[in-house]
Amino acid sequence: MPRWLKHKALGRFFSLALAMAVVELVTGPPGSNETPTAGFSGSFGEKVSFFGLFPVPRIVQFLAFTVIIYFLISLWRSYGDRLRDGVRSLTERPRAVANKGSVRWGVAAALVVIGALLPRFVTDPFWQTAMVEQIAVYVLLALGLNVVVGFAGLLDLGFVAFYAVGAYATAWVTGALPLPPLFGVHLNPFFAIPIAIFLAMLAGVLLGTPTLRLRGDYLAIVTLGFGEIIFLFVDNLNGITGGSAGSGQVPHFSVDVGPLKYVWGLAPVPYYYLTLAFVILFVVAFSLLEHSRVGRSWTAIREDEVAAESLGINPLKYKVMAFSIGAASAGFAGVVTAAQTNFVNPSVFTIYFSINILVLVIFGGMGSIAGAVVGAVVIQTVSMYLIHTPPAGYQPQDLYIYLGALLIIMMIFRPSGLVPSKRRQREIGLAESGQGHMDEVLTGDVP
Amino acid sequence: MIDELIFNVENITLRFGGVVSLNNVSLEMRRGEILAVIGPNGAGKTSLFNSLTGVYQPQEGRITLSAKSGRSVSVIGMKAHRVSSLGVARTFQASRIFGALTTFENVKIGAESHRGIGIAGAMVRGPRTRHGERESDELAVDLLDFVGLRSKANLLASSLSYGDRRRLEIARALATRPQVLLLDEPAAGTNPSEKLELTELIRKVRDERGVSILLIEHDMKLVMALAERLYVLNFGSVIAEGTPEEIRANEAVIEAYLGAASTAGDS
Amino acid sequence: MIHYFTSHFATLRLEFWPLLVGGLASGFIYSMVAIGYTLVYGVLRLINFAHSEIFMSGGFASLFLLRAVVGNSQPSGFESVLLVGLGVLAGAVAGGLVAVLVERVAYRPLRRRRAPALAYLISAIGASYFLFNLAGKEFGRNYYTLPILFINRPVFSIFGASVQLYYLVVAGAGAAMLVLLDRVVAKSRLGRGIRAVAQDAETASLMGVNIDRTIVLTFLIGGALGGAAAFLYGIQSGVIYTMGFTPALKAFTAAVLGGIGNIRGAVLGGLLLGVVESLSVAFVSGAYIDVVAFSVLVAVLLFRPTGILGERLGRAA
Repeated sequence: MPRWLKHKALGRFFSLALAMAVVELVTGPPGSNETPTAGFSGSFGEKVSFFGLFPVPRIVQFLAFTVIIYFLISLWRSYGDRLRDGVRSLTERPRAVANKGSVRWGVAAALVVIGALLPRFVTDPFWQTAMVEQIAVYVLLALGLNVVVGFAGLLDLGFVAFYAVGAYATAWVTGALPLPPLFGVHLNPFFAIPIAIFLAMLAGVLLGTPTLRLRGDYLAIVTLGFGEIIFLFVDNLNGITGGSAGSGQVPHFSVDVGPLKYVWGLAPVPYYYLTLAFVILFVVAFSLLEHSRVGRSWTAIREDEVAAESLGINPLKYKVMAFSIGAASAGFAGVVTAAQTNFVNPSVFTIYFSINILVLVIFGGMGSIAGAVVGAVVIQTVSMYLIHTPPAGYQPQDLYIYLGALLIIMMIFRPSGLVPSKRRQREIGLAESGQGHMDEVLTGDVP
Repeated sequence: MIDELIFNVENITLRFGGVVSLNNVSLEMRRGEILAVIGPNGAGKTSLFNSLTGVYQPQEGRITLSAKSGRSVSVIGMKAHRVSSLGVARTFQASRIFGALTTFENVKIGAESHRGIGIAGAMVRGPRTRHGERESDELAVDLLDFVGLRSKANLLASSLSYGDRRRLEIARALATRPQVLLLDEPAAGTNPSEKLELTELIRKVRDERGVSILLIEHDMKLVMALAERLYVLNFGSVIAEGTPEEIRANEAVIEAYLGAASTAGDS
Repeated sequence: MIHYFTSHFATLRLEFWPLLVGGLASGFIYSMVAIGYTLVYGVLRLINFAHSEIFMSGGFASLFLLRAVVGNSQPSGFESVLLVGLGVLAGAVAGGLVAVLVERVAYRPLRRRRAPALAYLISAIGASYFLFNLAGKEFGRNYYTLPILFINRPVFSIFGASVQLYYLVVAGAGAAMLVLLDRVVAKSRLGRGIRAVAQDAETASLMGVNIDRTIVLTFLIGGALGGAAAFLYGIQSGVIYTMGFTPALKAFTAAVLGGIGNIRGAVLGGLLLGVVESLSVAFVSGAYIDVVAFSVLVAVLLFRPTGILGERLGRAA
């Protein structure tokens, strides 16, 4: 390599230019089967307006951006520390106030009120539906996965299975599947709620007991493998699950007590309130759990499993517990989805879905309940906005490119997430300073 | 009663692949004593500890533990957390505290680990849970007092000095209400004054808490000052057993261990 | 029940040799991909979750290059041999390149910070997600078939099973690359570096082995093998942006089966898995073929996570 290429500043510029070229590709037009190179040539050659002034090829615009961003980075490198200190001294007092218990409860209460009033302000049917199907349901799923990944430190790539159990359980007890329901009674989806949650938790125990003995990376793969096996069965057992067509017969919730008859239709608002109520329930339950001895034991196992075991903590028991508790909220999410859309179908329950939920948890902050909620709301709102008013050249599937990049970016720059859990942040700090036993997979060689 | 055995280790052999880590080791530990296991590096001391606490499973031999209830149980094949619940607590060679938790929380985890868990109880916090929690809190505070860390109860454990971490580990182990405490090189990495305090503390654990002590140590001064009986390991085998005076006079030990230690330097 | 097994065993007896040959061919592909997992695991003690996309990139590179070269012609004889070589090369170059990029972007910054293991897994999953979805966007989300490089025909037969030319190509190219790799790791300075880091990174670094470079090279070699395997796979199964997922999961199974970190184990595991999967055709319907491989994965991880030959990159190979 020539010496001038090894110059640090130049190296930085080239890395940045490379990164910008990738950005250009990601945001550019798609290619297709007939013209697979169209994406490349279009990404660099297509004419765009240069800051609203005159049309130029995209490559010119991106070169300009590269130079500007390089300039900003250089500025940040020379003055960034001062800026950061300044901001920190400004936010120190608000931060201290925000950490007070009473303030936290106040904020939580305000959020609940806002959440309850939201359907009055959001009247666009697209957004009303999105609020239930794409946001509230995802909040539930993120809350559940946060217990598994965040609290217990278990990377579960088959989390979607519990969501599927909830949805299929609903279809089953309401008589929508080829498999006849118990005693032939077609239940109202309301009664499916406890059954689905119970079955999801049971699935957590059944799946967790054999697999959770494995260490981190093997667990991730085995959950992925299990997820695929379950998917293949659901997709092919036509006589039980309806196969790849699934079922479109799941009834809506309905109230039928004496003279009171009221069937929830497709209108999303009632589902929204039901889901919101359960979100609040799960948030309260999970945060109580976090600060109970169960939560402390999870922290202990996450930090140093050997030491925890020497104190009489049974790691397997607590891990299975995390799996099962996390499954509960996913099971409920399955009920809502099935009952609102009338529909269960295996094509939803893929490994990719599990990874999407993982992104919400990582982005919000592993181990932080507020983080799971914020992560789900922010990412899902943005993705819905992109579907509602897509920028030029944007296809819905492009979202996954961004989500993948987000995972890497978070791990590099902010591994503890947007709203970090304090314990988690400390642990990552300890691991990075070479203390603690969290990174034993990397270095440990215990026989 | 004083001669009752807590641990009865009979002819255990532990192998990793082709490497023999413990070779036909037998050891008896009496209730109420301070027993030490010494030996040069790699002699198998930590392997012995790990076998006693259920971390390793020796391929041959028997380890019998007389549980808190008075019943005799076989340790081999038992998981570490089960062994702990039978009244065996331990510390680690490189201290393994939970750095992201406070000193107090570290001890509390030890105090509450043996109580039955209910998810519902943990969330709803009924009177029983609250009562149990209060008990654990009291025990934790009491133990922090005992080891002299009460003033640091709310500090992050990772901010403690090396000597304090050692104390914290002892407090955390005691919180599981053990009948025997296994200490893996408690004085490693501490300075002379800390060492002295630790010696005091260990004796106090036995005298005031009635916990028997099994100790692995490199530091001969500390061992000779504390232990009432010693076993000497070399290359995975027991080469001598006796009181400190007997061990000091033992030719084989001087040859195998003290000679090696004096050249390797005391830690 | 008895009838089920007797009738299926009858099928198995009839079809045994053909199934075995087919299984060995896909086994070579799994082996080549499995080595990527095993090499990276050997030095980093981590599973490279992005390996499936390194595989996929090899498939696309060979596809585009061969399309450009072959055009509408119908290659035969020596041309076919050259084109197969070209496909292997294109896959290897692309796979190696993407693997090095993945190391640079998703692994190295985390190593600098000494991040906990969970962080590596997550960032590698991110890289995988990013790459295959980007490929889907750029190349379209449909199947491509590679241009016809040779007419697939029976070449000879053993025990009544005719051996297809495709199988010979796969086995030949696969075996050649595996032997080459084995020699490199066993004999060259680079190989010694890899083995040293795998055994004890700290000591290796004290003895002057450049750890960063060794890690990049393991990604490069593993990626090249994976990319080349994707070309061989693509000849029969076509190329699509999600093509990496299933073969990579199976290759990982093979790596664990043979003892992860162990190069010869990975080869053995791959061949074994290929054969088991192929023979299971006699017992289960086509829709559940993948279930067999994944069940092997789950079973191996649960019951024998150290594999058949054990974990030992340093001493094996």
